[in-house]
Amino acid sequence: MSDGIKIFRWRAVGPLLVLFVIACVLWWLFADTIARHESQNVGTQLLGAKVEIQSLHLDLAHGDVTIKGLTIASPHEAFKNLLQADELVADLDMLPLTEKKLVIDRIVANGLRFGTPRETDGRVPAESGQGGIAGRVLAETREWASRFQIPVLQLATGKIGIDSLDPRRLSTIPAADALGARADSSRRAWQTAFDTLRLGPTLDSASATLEQLRRARATDLATINAARQAIDRLKRARDRVTTLERTVKTGVSQLQAGLAGLDSARQRDYAFARSLLKLPSLDAPAIGAAVFGPGAIKPFEQALYYAQLARRYMPPGLLPRAATGPSRARRAGENVRFPKERALPAFLLRSAELSFLLHPTAEQPQRYAGRLTGLTSDPALYGRPTSFTATGPQLAAGALLNHTRSIPADSAGASVGGVQFTAFDIPGVPLRLDPGAATTQFGFNLNGDTIHARFAIRSSNVRWMRDSGFANSAIGNLVWRAVSGISNLDVETRLSGALEHPALAVRSNLDQAIASRLRAELGAQVDAAEKQMRARVDALVNDKVGPVRTRVTEVQTQAQTQVAQQRARIDELQKNLEQRLRQLLGGVRLP
Amino acid sequence: MFTLIKLVQSLFGALHSEGTPGQLAAGIVLGSFLGLTPLINFHNAIIFAALVLLNVSFAGGLLGWAVFVPVGFLLDPLFDWIGHQLLFAEPLRSVWTTLYNTPVVPLTNFNNTVVLGSLVFALVFALPLFFATRWAVARYRVTVGERVRQSKWYRTLMASKVYNVYKLFKP
Repeated sequence: MSDGIKIFRWRAVGPLLVLFVIACVLWWLFADTIARHESQNVGTQLLGAKVEIQSLHLDLAHGDVTIKGLTIASPHEAFKNLLQADELVADLDMLPLTEKKLVIDRIVANGLRFGTPRETDGRVPAESGQGGIAGRVLAETREWASRFQIPVLQLATGKIGIDSLDPRRLSTIPAADALGARADSSRRAWQTAFDTLRLGPTLDSASATLEQLRRARATDLATINAARQAIDRLKRARDRVTTLERTVKTGVSQLQAGLAGLDSARQRDYAFARSLLKLPSLDAPAIGAAVFGPGAIKPFEQALYYAQLARRYMPPGLLPRAATGPSRARRAGENVRFPKERALPAFLLRSAELSFLLHPTAEQPQRYAGRLTGLTSDPALYGRPTSFTATGPQLAAGALLNHTRSIPADSAGASVGGVQFTAFDIPGVPLRLDPGAATTQFGFNLNGDTIHARFAIRSSNVRWMRDSGFANSAIGNLVWRAVSGISNLDVETRLSGALEHPALAVRSNLDQAIASRLRAELGAQVDAAEKQMRARVDALVNDKVGPVRTRVTEVQTQAQTQVAQQRARIDELQKNLEQRLRQLLGGVRLP
Repeated sequence: MFTLIKLVQSLFGALHSEGTPGQLAAGIVLGSFLGLTPLINFHNAIIFAALVLLNVSFAGGLLGWAVFVPVGFLLDPLFDWIGHQLLFAEPLRSVWTTLYNTPVVPLTNFNNTVVLGSLVFALVFALPLFFATRWAVARYRVTVGERVRQSKWYRTLMASKVYNVYKLFKP
């Protein structure tokens, strides 16, 4: 390099400018396409379900974005959309874009439709890597929903059978063995303790002293002193006996607890053996939970999913927040946001006006209007909760996400009339229920980690359908007779308590009808089967429990008798010695 | 195949160019930024512009880019860790918060753990890489460089038309 001070390669300015112009032209040509792809990718990642956009137009000069043909798949149902929108027009605030912040002053959404069918599965598998936070939340809420123990309605066979009862699976027998061993061990321990008291020499010595004292006179000071020493020894012996007595009492109470434990174990064995019987449940709440529980959990699961998603994307406070980075060939890493007081949030939708259709497939779909305000990624900066309202002829819905304080509180409620539910199989029985057009009410409140939720369906024109499998089932016929005449349906599911372990209660007008009919028909059979089962358990258990019970009784009686006898003898000797001393001394106290 | 030939051409073209070892090393260092950090980022536009405008070896830049792309992929977990440590470091929080809320700066994606980690790594790595490369090129030219230049296969390789593209940006 002859001109060593030459730093710039000026002749490359031209090609660089050309490159820049090409980049600008490409942006001008493909900005809409790039934005559409990016929006689809980001939306899919955010919601955990496919987001598809037919067309997107950026009008940066006017700060407008127009999206046409938006489809968001349901993350919960394979061939269903969460919503579709004919057109969305967003009015962007341009200045925050320089800080990579998206502030939308207003969105107008037209032609929203909910729950429409789709041809392909729109869910994003968790393992695809596209799921991100949404995938994790989905997995968590699924796991949460799976924790509910829904009782199974066992009516299908219509038989009450007793499966083989394996004695090794009964808990009473090992408990009895253990108690027998403990009784033997206690007997040995107490005998050893009793022997170490060495009461024999003390008692013999005291007896001999008593004899001498009986022959002694008041001046026989040596004998009197010996008597006093004997009394002291007897007192000490009694203390030792008292200590042993306490030990025996404790041991006896433990053995008694062991015997009570055998009774509990027997009850458990009865319950276990009962579980082997194919007994139909005759308990009304259990029937309600079995029939409607599996379906009733779903709305709560879905509401919880969106509430938890909102908590992840809209956390309270101003601490740095990490979210999965953009998907690319390289590792995505994490994007960390640093919210700052009195600055703009990273995302803010100030207001959205929604116009939507309910029952879009009906001949005359009903048009409704809704409003969403204050949807933001940083509620602490925006300072107001996110709210949503929608009203219409048969609809009243609202939601409030308050993440402005440290403990977030989310609530939602909806009442929708004329909802056409699809017919569903009742678990455990070949019976289908078509609720027809029903009115549903839904209430959801998640305050911190405490949940209170309610889901109710009311219909006055339900239809029942029976499967061919019902033909040969006595109980099936019984249930059919119980429910087929019922045209009203009133189901209410409540969920309340700590989010980790909420209590689920299901009530319906069918519970009592089915339960009372079953009880009338099957009560005698059930009682007989239970009696038979108890007898079988007793037969297996009594051989073990009886001898152990006798042994325990023997051990405790023996120990208690032994202690009582010795104590009585000590007391008697002491009393006699003291009495004789008083006679000799005539009430005179010697030093 | 074309890429491989181009890479080999770039390598030997750069090694035997008229540029000084320092120019070649500077080109490789700038190229290493492109390879080590995720490509589609604001800082890489500046790096690329610098590579084109500054009187450094463009071929060296391409070479550094090509060599350090796989290294970047391999070291992504390390970059992620470095970025995470930096972005969540308590003493730096006010700096990041200010930068994050300053116009244009967030467009650099500095708040991405991999971007920040790789950029910091590339910056720290730049000086050692520059001096090591400069020394290695000088040694090469002194020892085997002339023999390679005279070899038949070298002349065949450099006769390829692709070489002409390179010559446009030779230092």
